[in-house]
This record gives sequence, structure tokens and C-alpha cells, in this order.
Amino acid sequence: MTAPSFEEFLSLSVDLTAFEETALLGTGLARPYLATVRAACGDEVVTALLDAHRAARAHAAVDARGHDRALPDPALLDRALLDRALRHRIFSDDRIGPVARNVIKLWYAGTWYPLPPEWIDCYGARTAAETPAVTAAAYQEGLLWRAIGANPPGAKAPGYGSWAQPPRIEDRYLNGATK
Amino acid sequence: MTASSINDRDDLISYLHVAMALEHATIPPYLTAYYSIQPTTNSDAAHIIRVVAVEEMLHLTLVANVLNAIGGRPDLTRPGFVPSYPAYLPDGETDFTVELRPLSPEAVETFCKIERPRQAPNADARLLRTPDDGNPVLAFSPTAEGMRYYSIGEFYAEIIEGLERVAADDPKLFSGDPALQVGPEYFYSGGGAVIVVSDLDSACRALRFIAAQGEGLDSGVHDADGELAHYYRFRQLQLGRYYQVGDAPDAPSGPPLSVAWDDVYKVKVSARLADYPAGSELARAALDFNVAYRAFLVLLTKAFNGRPGLLQDAVCDMFRLRDGFNLLVRNPLPGSDGLHAAPTFEIPAAFGADPEAAPAAGESAQGVTR
Repeated sequence: MTAPSFEEFLSLSVDLTAFEETALLGTGLARPYLATVRAACGDEVVTALLDAHRAARAHAAVDARGHDRALPDPALLDRALLDRALRHRIFSDDRIGPVARNVIKLWYAGTWYPLPPEWIDCYGARTAAETPAVTAAAYQEGLLWRAIGANPPGAKAPGYGSWAQPPRIEDRYLNGATK
Repeated sequence: MTASSINDRDDLISYLHVAMALEHATIPPYLTAYYSIQPTTNSDAAHIIRVVAVEEMLHLTLVANVLNAIGGRPDLTRPGFVPSYPAYLPDGETDFTVELRPLSPEAVETFCKIERPRQAPNADARLLRTPDDGNPVLAFSPTAEGMRYYSIGEFYAEIIEGLERVAADDPKLFSGDPALQVGPEYFYSGGGAVIVVSDLDSACRALRFIAAQGEGLDSGVHDADGELAHYYRFRQLQLGRYYQVGDAPDAPSGPPLSVAWDDVYKVKVSARLADYPAGSELARAALDFNVAYRAFLVLLTKAFNGRPGLLQDAVCDMFRLRDGFNLLVRNPLPGSDGLHAAPTFEIPAAFGADPEAAPAAGESAQGVTR
């Protein structure tokens, strides 16, 4: 079995987190995160997750008439179809669903949380039950801070007095609300 | 008397505009090396570069104070204020280029050249002809076309002499609005105290401070306050040892320091927007940085033109620029053999000269060439 591909992990992470690839690479943690997931779950599970993701993308690249679109360009993907395919093929799956949820939490919180006990019982993960900190930087780079327009407390200082200003929440999180 | 000399207030103002651009021009190279350092590594090198970069910001503010004191209008949005890199800087008889580089022996060598104290061998050698190959030249003479100074130190020596000469003829030279001065209540923790300029004495003190702290004429390893001059700060990275008070120029005797040259994001040297894949997320991130940097320069221009309180907001901008810098350097730049991306500092010029008319960051995606 070949090792899980970094590019495919990055592509999966884009769909799971709704952050662009540039932003994910900009954390400097994409490779350490892939290593964390592999160490926790083993390559077989990670490969199955990436396979399911690739299949979900291929599904979303098929248009309404059932014709294969020539290029699965991310911009051309049917977002609703992709959303449904991810739910069907990944999130509702007993084996890879919990792992995918953990990958989301890993990106947002910078922490690998324990997988559920029943998952451990069935699939026998190695360090899946532990909560290792990935690196000290992972806390600082957690996407949750970006999502809420705040800095991680105690790190990435935003400048003296900046706390008196309202948070800068990106437009895409506002759902049309005004700042 | 040569055509280069400074004869009136207008000459002084044009020299001080060049001085502001010169002080600023060192900051992008220092920041590129600084932010190329990977987190939690190279703390010695990071600290040294950071101290110098922050002091350059103080120098920029000091020049703005001198300019305001004689009735000029600081403007960091002038075309060419941010040079396109590589840019030429004088270093005695030979010019050298300043690139935007990751931390590396080459980068430190450039930094040493930028900060090396150099005195012209004689008065006639102070002004030299600029090379004619199209690259921007820093420390040029705004009054003698095609000429540049022997060194940054000589450039400042010329301004100080010019100030003394013009002030002697014009008792109203220092009639600028005192309210435009950036005082210590607005600028602090910046590597020395800011000097409020109101007369010839304070103007000369401000300019001599710049020359003594870095770039300028040799005032020894340490200055009167025991501060290490910039050139010697960087020499520590080359020599692998800290200076102590009393050390000879090439023989620091303090604790050793080491630089892990490999723990660095290898960013592309003097990357340009044209190096980024057209239409990519990464190209947009690089463009966003430049637009944000332009907005930052607009804000500084307002701060130096009567609203010094805005320097507080500028601090917050600097932290956001830091985050944008970090994002770029952690991204590989496609098609560059594994090198990483970095800000290009190609500043959009399409907003016109009026800082009040400039849009906020993120509003312009075109007009980035100069």
C-alpha cells in the first residue's frame, strides 16, 4: 500500500474545513497534521478516507444529466452534490466518519481529540485514544481563531489596544448580516 | 560648490523625501529575512533582525519629523517610495543590490553592506555618477541629476550641512506646525526615544542619531548610550559571537551565537507577482498583501500629516501584515523548484497621490505595476 498522498490530504482538508488551500498551507501545519492522523489511525484508514473523498469529488463532478465533466476543476464542482456525497460516503461511515470529524477538529483546534471508544474497539487505533498536542504552533494556528476573527489568547498578538475594536469577521461568515 | 549641494528649503525638502524612502527601503529586506525564519528556531538571528527593523521605523519617523519641522509634507505614497527590488544602494565606490531574500549568509552580507559605515576618501568623492541600467538607486541626489552619494552616511552628512547652511540664511526655516510632530507619546518601544524637531539643534540631533545608530558614519561599535550600531549587530551573525562593550570592531568577545541556516523557509529571491500562477489563490494572497501594505503606507502618511494618534492603528496593521507575511512564506510557490512564496512589495499606484482618496485594503485587484 502506498503512503497517503499529501496533496489528497490537503484537498480533503479544503472540503472539510471550508478554508482555501493557501490558508491551510499558510498555517505551516498541513504536513504535521497528516503525520498526526496517520500515527493515530494507521495508513489503511487514512487511505480509505482519501479514497472516499476522491470518489465524492468525482461524483460531484458529474453533472445533472449524468455526464462526466471533463475536468473536476474545484470551481466547477456542484457544491450541493459534493456536500451530499461527503455526507454519504464519509460522514455516515462508521470507520472513516469519526476520523473525518477529528480531522476537522484538528484543523480548527490544533488538537487531535480521542476517537470514540466504540471506534477504538472496532478498528483498534494506535494512539487514537490519546490527545497529543501536535506542536506548540498548532494551538496558535487553529482555524477557529480565524473563523471568529480573534487571536489565540496569549499568542499572535494583534497590537496594543486592538481589543477595543470589534472583531474582524470575514464576510463569508456573516451570512448577510452587517458588521 | 557643486550642483549637488543644498541651497534652499525646497532642496532640503526634496532630500528629506529621498531620506524617508531610503529609510523605508531597508525594511522589506529585513522583514523578508525575519519572517522566513521558521517558528521557534533561530531566536538569536530573529532578535537581531527584529531590533534593527524596528529601529529603521524609528529612523523613518525621525526623518518625517525633520521634514515636518521645515514645512514639508511627508508622503509615503509617492511613486517610487517603495523601490522595486533589487534596488541599488551605494557602498563606497561600488554599488550593490538589495534583494528580498530569506535569512541566509547572502542576506546577512547584504545587511552588513547596507549598514556599513563608509566615509568618502575626500570631499570630491562624496557624489558619484549613478549606474545607468534602470534599477532604482537609493541615496541619490534629488538636485543633481544622475548622481548618487558615496554612502548613506555621506548622504546624511550632506543634509546636515545643508540644514546648517540654509538655517543660517533663513531664520524662519523651522516654521513647520509643531502639531505635526510625532512625539514620544505616539511612538515608543521603538529602539530609542523619538526626537521632537523644532529647530536646527534638534534636527541635527535627529539626523545624527540615525547616522550613529546605523547606516551612517562610523561612531564605533557602541554609541554613547552603549547601543550597538546596526552594522555590528549583523556582524555578530557572521562572526557567531556577541559583542561586549570595549570590543575591537572585528573581534567580538561575548557569548557565542549560532544560526541554523536550514531552519528557514527558502523563499524566492525578490519574488514578483508575475512569478505567481495567474488567477491562483496564492496570487490573490500576494496581491492582498501588497494592497494592505499600500493601505498601511496611506495610514502612516496621515499619521505624519497631523494625526499622530493613527500610529496606534498602524501598530495593529503591522500585526496583520505579519500574519499575511507568515501565510505567504509557508506556501510553496508553484513552478519555482520548491521555493516558497513571499510578499513582492509591488505597491499598487493607481490610487493617486492623495492619501485621503485611497481605498481600503482589498478593494483593488488591478493597477499593481509601477
